[in-house]
Amino acid sequence: MICAGIDAGSRAIKAVLFDTARREILASGLAAQGVAQERLAADLLDKILKEAGLDRKRISGLVATGYGRHAIRFADTTVTEITCHARGVHFLAPDARTILEIGGQDSKVISLEDGGRVRDFAMNDRCAAGTGRFLEMVAARLEMNWEKLAELGRQSTKPALISNTCAVFAETEIIGLLADGQPLPDVVAGVQNAIATRVAALAGRLVSPPVYFTGGVALLPGMARALEAILACPVQVAPRPQHTGALGAALSITNDKFSMTNSQ
Amino acid sequence: MNGKPAMPHSDNPLAWFAGMMDHCYDFAQAARAQGRPIVGIMCEFTPREIILAAGAVPVCLCGGSGATIPAAEQFLPANLCPLIKSTFGYHVTGNNPFLNWADLVVAETACDGKKKMFELMSATKPMYVLELPQKSDNADALEHWTAEVRKFKEHLEQRFQIRITDGQLRDAARLMNRERGLRRQLAALLTRDPPPLTGRQLSEFKSIISGIEEDLQQYERAIQIFGAKPASPPPGLPQVRVLLSGVPMVHGAERVLELIENAGAVVVAMENCTGLKPILDDVDLDDPDPLRAIARKYYHLPCSVMTPNARRFDTLRSLAAQFHPHCVIELVWQACLTYDIESYHVRKLAGEELHLPHLKITTDYSPLDSARISARVEALFETIRARTPSTESIVSTASTASTLQAPVQTAHPRRTP
Repeated sequence: MICAGIDAGSRAIKAVLFDTARREILASGLAAQGVAQERLAADLLDKILKEAGLDRKRISGLVATGYGRHAIRFADTTVTEITCHARGVHFLAPDARTILEIGGQDSKVISLEDGGRVRDFAMNDRCAAGTGRFLEMVAARLEMNWEKLAELGRQSTKPALISNTCAVFAETEIIGLLADGQPLPDVVAGVQNAIATRVAALAGRLVSPPVYFTGGVALLPGMARALEAILACPVQVAPRPQHTGALGAALSITNDKFSMTNSQ
Repeated sequence: MNGKPAMPHSDNPLAWFAGMMDHCYDFAQAARAQGRPIVGIMCEFTPREIILAAGAVPVCLCGGSGATIPAAEQFLPANLCPLIKSTFGYHVTGNNPFLNWADLVVAETACDGKKKMFELMSATKPMYVLELPQKSDNADALEHWTAEVRKFKEHLEQRFQIRITDGQLRDAARLMNRERGLRRQLAALLTRDPPPLTGRQLSEFKSIISGIEEDLQQYERAIQIFGAKPASPPPGLPQVRVLLSGVPMVHGAERVLELIENAGAVVVAMENCTGLKPILDDVDLDDPDPLRAIARKYYHLPCSVMTPNARRFDTLRSLAAQFHPHCVIELVWQACLTYDIESYHVRKLAGEELHLPHLKITTDYSPLDSARISARVEALFETIRARTPSTESIVSTASTASTLQAPVQTAHPRRTP
């Protein structure tokens, strides 16, 4: 049986095709998020189907997740990104007990039981301070892309102190630090620390090892290290960190797609 | 109806309470025409009985609309609880007729935000402030509070040129006890599985003016109608039963309650000032000093301004035992420091003692984060359902209690002041 998962995130749409018999990913893809997200998701699905040499009729079930999940009306059902990331990471890394997920507008900490079920979770409220949006804002302010940003951060010897409570205030602080002539690498490393501190505060009592880091921000070199330093425990980047949500959505469909909220 | 023409909606209690604001408007207008003063209250610590005994009309003035907040922020900091800002915003805009009519506003030194807001409001509004001590198990504190309530009574006597007798205090307490008792009976119907009404429906059964006879009759009718409703589970997945705790959800600010129930749950009990918190205890009518009995009932309200606030945790234990929730969701208004910090204890109680998942939602009156709140609530329910076979009811123990038990107080060590 072939199942599909679509993760309509705030900055990107991700899709995964999963073969339940062979227990493997057949294809996956990513597209930038936009206004017409249902069409963008459908185009992405068709693109990865084509890559896998399949068509839509072969799909036995389709689950949408992510903040835009309700906009994907061609999905059979929706499951929240918290449950989906838990399922996706557990499939790829069965030893995971804690998941840190930092996406475009969210950060989450998910604590797993044996068997991969969600034990508890925490998610940021309104503020973007602990999310990818903050990094994007900084990259735009410094007129550089993410890869360059990460490379700069690695060169820092003395990360700047940047407040972690508000992305808007932090931007003002960054402008001030640059005006004061603070080295760019220290400012970038300071931003990474601010995000990591915010996520660590969210994590609170939930962190128990092994800790896996997923979501788009996990691709940024330096972020896992910043999290390790603040949480004082090893943090591994999950395999395919941008796709664990979509994979978990696809995994939400088992043999009986009508009992999918109970499947593991 | 004693020969009077039936009032519209009189057979349908839900429809009656949907018109609650209009009824209160008419009631207050009529009372003013008879020369009865309007007394605004903004907190459940204010003893309505004293105001009723003075022949005045106590009206709750707490704001539940985000629309008045920008006006309030001309005077108040943005980083303040939306309930306080909304209430003060009505004062600034003049959009709350009850506040405009109020001959007196009663305030108390509950939380710092309200306390300092009242100072601003008192510049242009007659105000009386009750000093609320905050160690709930300190006998001296209760003495002080009783003296405060007595001074308040004397203030009303002087201001309105009346005498308030013990008999009038007892009558007012009897009326308020009856109202609290009826609202408790209605709330107790949600101990059933499945409940005959939703938490959102139950939240409609309230009035910003207490003791209106027609309201009390409608509560009685609602108890009959919903009490007789056969238990039929709604279609779809079994409902998750939620114990909602935290800040008051003022009329118009029920968004989070709706988000929770729209995600496939029923809020079976609300441990907050707009839910069960103020109606679980009655005034002891046998006390030889009715004023003291009234003061005692109000002083023991388990608000997070109290320290330590053990009564709140006793209440949560008691409600969990009676309503069989699957989880505790806690609502905290942004910048409500006392509830926000106390959430640590609620989470601990839920996890370690009640063995229930706990979710805290911090928000304000603007709806922008509704999708984010829904995601967390849905994820919580997915987690709960994943633990329970879908073929069975997710409720393990059905309760048939028809009356609510007030929480049994565990021994709180008395501290020497």
